[in-house]
Amino acid sequence: MSGDMNCGRLREIGAELALGVLPGRERAEAVAHLDRCANCREYVRQLTLVGDRLIGLLPEREPPPGFETRAARLPARQAPAHEAPAGAADRAFRHLRGRARRARLRLAAVATALTVAVGFAGWGIGTAVEEVLASSAPAAESELMLVGDMTSTVGGETVGEVYAHPGTPGWIFVSVGLTGPHASYTGKVTCLLEHADGRIVRVGDFTLNGGRGEWGVAAPGDLSTLSGARLTMPDGTVLATAHLQKGQVVEPEK
Amino acid sequence: MIFRGGRAGGRAIPWRPSSVYRGVSGFRSPVDRLPDEALLSGLATGDPELAVVFVRRFQRRVFGVAMAVTGDEQLAEDVAQSTFERAWRHAQIYDSRRGSVTTWLTTIAHNLAVDAVRARRTEPMAPEDLDAVIGVVTETPEQWALADETAAQLRAAVARLPREQARALVMAGIYGMTAQQIADAERIPLGTAKTRIRAAMAKLRTTLASPKRGDHVR
Repeated sequence: MSGDMNCGRLREIGAELALGVLPGRERAEAVAHLDRCANCREYVRQLTLVGDRLIGLLPEREPPPGFETRAARLPARQAPAHEAPAGAADRAFRHLRGRARRARLRLAAVATALTVAVGFAGWGIGTAVEEVLASSAPAAESELMLVGDMTSTVGGETVGEVYAHPGTPGWIFVSVGLTGPHASYTGKVTCLLEHADGRIVRVGDFTLNGGRGEWGVAAPGDLSTLSGARLTMPDGTVLATAHLQKGQVVEPEK
Repeated sequence: MIFRGGRAGGRAIPWRPSSVYRGVSGFRSPVDRLPDEALLSGLATGDPELAVVFVRRFQRRVFGVAMAVTGDEQLAEDVAQSTFERAWRHAQIYDSRRGSVTTWLTTIAHNLAVDAVRARRTEPMAPEDLDAVIGVVTETPEQWALADETAAQLRAAVARLPREQARALVMAGIYGMTAQQIADAERIPLGTAKTRIRAAMAKLRTTLASPKRGDHVR
């Protein structure tokens, strides 16, 4: 490609530049030209507007049930109001990176960790997985797993997620943020797994703080037959249940 | 910058003045009535109620873009979730003088969706998906025309494009395909692919620049 970028040449490739599909070298040359040519900047600005308008013509679609809760939970958990002023964003984001990624990615990291940590009955995901994630190289993760939204038995809202990886070793990950009368509950909860044949297996206990908690555990046996999960309080009260479905999970990482 | 960058580095958000608030139906609280820009500003404070309202207001738009590009519900959900994460992360640097929140969000969603598809598969889109997208962006139901005259004119202009130009436009503008990828997919010379993109964009630019003369596009 010629390095002689001028207005005529810019007009030829302006559309591709505006749509973001111009190869790197041509783009670099075009950008250099725009820096010194107001007319071409205006030309590309108009074309960019066309591209945006084109995307704006795409129809709206209703996201899957529970999406609103999942999407809104991430920012809400990460930035206390008193921490908001300018300058906090970067700090908050660094903190967010480990926690705000999709739990699916966390699970992939947990699976990796479990290959070297088999034997632990369970651990607090919050810290352990942060460290695993921090050292993980970006990669595209693709795993077959069982997933389900955790639904409150009181109000019926989505209050968390359950992921089960039926590999060797199998593992379970639970993320929950209770609402309603148990929103402030701090104490032990028990995770029970339901199999398609009706068996119910207690997989372990973990602690909720203020109704919130994340927990991962190596789970023995065949997890591919799981149909559901539930969380109970020590007195047997069922806090939330989940119906598990098979899914192929891919997490492209940039 | 006023242009979009390459996909690998993301693209600059194109800005345009916008003070129009497009509200949503079913208001439930005063927070629901906040203008988009104010809601985004509040999102940066980590207020959980604002986060819910923000997601509720834009989730269909964001998910729609993600679905159109990826054609995969699970991948689209991941893209949509990442879009809201980025919105929260960058809320403090958003400049309302340079563009609407809707455009800002859909641009983020579109970039993420294109990147996600590129990371996942070699073919950016299936031929039948392309025809479907051309269909939806050229639909001109009456209620849409009444709601947004400019969008209606743009739809009509896309519909009037020669089919091969419309295909090239959607491949590049929606699916983020390069001219070379379009040339390969359409089995045409690279120069022809570039010409089709350029010709289509030029006609649409004319339509937006002179809305009342949109019917002159050929």
